[in-house]
Amino acid sequence: MEQTSGKIGIREYIAIVLLTIGTKLADDLPAILYSSLYNAAWMTPIISGVISILPLYLLLKTMMYYKEKSLLEIIVHLFGNYIGFVIIFILWIVGTAAIVIDSAIYTDIIGTMYFTRTPTIVIYAILIGVCVYAAKHGLEQIGSVAKAVLPYIKASLFFALILTMIEGNFAFLFPVLGPGGWEVIKESSIRLSIYGDILYLSLLTPYIRKTKDFTKGTWIAFVILIVELTIAILAYVLLFDYNTAHLLNYPYHEVIRYISIGFLANMETLFFPFWLIATFIRFAVYLYINGLLFGRLFRIKDFEHMIPSLATLFLFLGLILENESIALSELRDHLLFVVTPIFFGLPCMLWILAKFKGDYKNEKT
Amino acid sequence: MFKNLITKYMTTSKEKLYTQQSSEEAISIKEKDITSNLDHTTSTFKSIYSYPNNSDVKFRDIQIGGINKKAVLVFINTISDTDMIEKQILNPLLLNEEPSRKIDDLISAQSVSTAKKIRDILKEINKGNVALFIQGEKQAFIINAANFQGRGIEKAENEVSLIGSKEAFNEKVMTNISLIRKKIKSEDLVIESTTVSKRSNNEVYYVYVKDLVNDELLQTVKERIDQIDIDSIQNLAILEQHIEERQKSIFPTILNTERPDRAASFLEEGYIVLLMDNSPASLVLPATFWSFYHTAEDRYVRLFYGNVTRLIRMMAMFIALFTSSIYIAVTNFHAEMVPPDLLLAIAATREKVPVGAILEVLFMELAFELIREAGLRIPGPIGPTIGIVGALILGQAAVQANIVSPIVVIVVALGGLSSFAIGNISMNFTIRICRFAFILAAGAFGIYGITALFVVGIFYMVSIKSFGVPYLSPLTPKYLSSGDTIFRRMLKNEIFRPSYLKPKDMKKK
Repeated sequence: MEQTSGKIGIREYIAIVLLTIGTKLADDLPAILYSSLYNAAWMTPIISGVISILPLYLLLKTMMYYKEKSLLEIIVHLFGNYIGFVIIFILWIVGTAAIVIDSAIYTDIIGTMYFTRTPTIVIYAILIGVCVYAAKHGLEQIGSVAKAVLPYIKASLFFALILTMIEGNFAFLFPVLGPGGWEVIKESSIRLSIYGDILYLSLLTPYIRKTKDFTKGTWIAFVILIVELTIAILAYVLLFDYNTAHLLNYPYHEVIRYISIGFLANMETLFFPFWLIATFIRFAVYLYINGLLFGRLFRIKDFEHMIPSLATLFLFLGLILENESIALSELRDHLLFVVTPIFFGLPCMLWILAKFKGDYKNEKT
Repeated sequence: MFKNLITKYMTTSKEKLYTQQSSEEAISIKEKDITSNLDHTTSTFKSIYSYPNNSDVKFRDIQIGGINKKAVLVFINTISDTDMIEKQILNPLLLNEEPSRKIDDLISAQSVSTAKKIRDILKEINKGNVALFIQGEKQAFIINAANFQGRGIEKAENEVSLIGSKEAFNEKVMTNISLIRKKIKSEDLVIESTTVSKRSNNEVYYVYVKDLVNDELLQTVKERIDQIDIDSIQNLAILEQHIEERQKSIFPTILNTERPDRAASFLEEGYIVLLMDNSPASLVLPATFWSFYHTAEDRYVRLFYGNVTRLIRMMAMFIALFTSSIYIAVTNFHAEMVPPDLLLAIAATREKVPVGAILEVLFMELAFELIREAGLRIPGPIGPTIGIVGALILGQAAVQANIVSPIVVIVVALGGLSSFAIGNISMNFTIRICRFAFILAAGAFGIYGITALFVVGIFYMVSIKSFGVPYLSPLTPKYLSSGDTIFRRMLKNEIFRPSYLKPKDMKKK
């Protein structure tokens, strides 16, 4: 009889990363990319991915060096108590903003695409309620569920993308560079934050069985994500052409309405549950990480108990945003800009400071 | 706080209402040792057993031949083997002619032991053994002669198997142990026993394979059983409810099986099996979700046959859970999903039905559950009636009376039928109860409600532990094991025992 340690293994970690970041291909992220990059939007995941390798590498290197410390402890260790507190506080604020904006967007998706007559607050409350229930169970349970459902979610996505590709037109890809090469690189690099969640996910290291699992898992998940996001964004363009695609707020949901097999003309209700499950898990992870940060900031040891109250706060903040539904994707875009420097800068600073403090030298000698 | 006060008030007032008779005197007598005075001992036992009002307790006075000592045999003749008592105890004692022989040598029964304390002697007599008191001896001889009445070994009725052995456990624990021993002929198979209840002195038998079982697990199980403080535990089904971790949960966490072959195969993996008198079953623990989903048959048939059955059973599980709720969700919320022809057909049949789809489905589900429950409780000879009534009410009359639409009959019947494919009774209940929850969720929020409830359910399932073992292991969290979850593998590839049990020997071969 093995008493579980409350920690997750590499499989669970990869599942969590894939679900939190992978779900982005099914919200309004592709729409945001299409609006500035047209049919070259599919290059963004690759270009940002390539650029992200640097901060990721530095982050993992720093974390591998302070093996026994969590990211938060490393930040405090390197920046000192006060600046450390400020940085963690900023992380928490940005994380909170992300949850509020994203959950409002997801509520909007459910409301506008599937349940037009149900009051928003009910949809929102169920979304947050289920996620709180999930998050309160702790990371081990979230990881277990993520791992258990991942194959089915990805299979449904794969199925949808295959059907999309079959119906798609490859001529829509041209001109390949869309608005121009320089534009593509510029726009892609200011949206590095697509992968910014990894920075937040690295807060989970104390709950992962081995540090090596974390680094290995991150790289594996990262590669899968790049491929997955690229293919998805490519698929939407193939089906709709960029002109239509950038008008669509939620391309994935339009896609699953569009495709059909045999006598089943409207298949979205088949794909919708899988997307929902992924969504629930994604926000459960977000809420958990947010609680973790909050707990660290205000020295609350059993931070899991804070999650319901925090989530209620997010719910009401999100409802305020929800009333301005046109503003939502604007806000999301702004958030992507804000997170980018943090995602790029923080690991670099950590690494430089670690070098400066001479901790690396000690390692070599 | 108020709750505490109220319960406090309730208990004190109740205790005042019912004044108890003090049994301290009786208890203090039982704690004493017997004396060498035979008449005194006999009268003590007669008063304890309310002799001669208590008609099946026998006191047999004899004069032992050869030694010429007075003696008394005490036993309860309804639970002991009277034939054996006569041949192996009475005859040798009465017919003895040699004055030098000891009592142990006189009696030819299987086992003879001695006891001094009155309580211990009573316990043995209550088990069906014979107590022999001899004038001048400060101890009683306990002679093994128990013979409880019970059924013979019969076919398994709830867990039917076409190819496997047909024997099932019966209500006699000794028979059950012998059925297990028949399958595991090993000196490492240990059967320990302990008394769990205070008044009825019910015994629980731990069965395990010594060189496989994890000692810590065994210790936990023993502690859990030792903590039970209750007057009587009649059988395993009651015991199961006492030792479960989450007693209000709808998911079972201990497997109740009536097949000795299944129990034996679990033992060989390192699980612990509990047996008790009066239960035609055994408890296997810890149990994971998979043990409720598997049947013995899956492993007896060839790889593909077994996996096809498993596939069908998994489908049945999902159909039983979701058909009704998906029907409601689709007709109420996602009508665009159904092809127009079918949608029109459904609408046409529903035209005359006065109630909404959800009421219609709930009504049919309830009718189905009623027929099922009534069919279970109905005496055998009038059994067929229920089938006719069920078929007529459900299949024909309800539709013709425009209370339900034909498609709802199909949907509910399909779900109901599928639920029979889940063999385990506990899991069957779980699925049936969950089905109603899903119907309500679908009625309120369509697919969104179903999915939300499903996610909550999955998180709940993942959080359940049975004696420290996660409920869905080895699927998640991942553990090294034979990989026998949704599908099974080739038998020759099943190399490992489940590592979540931490058995002493991981490799099967």
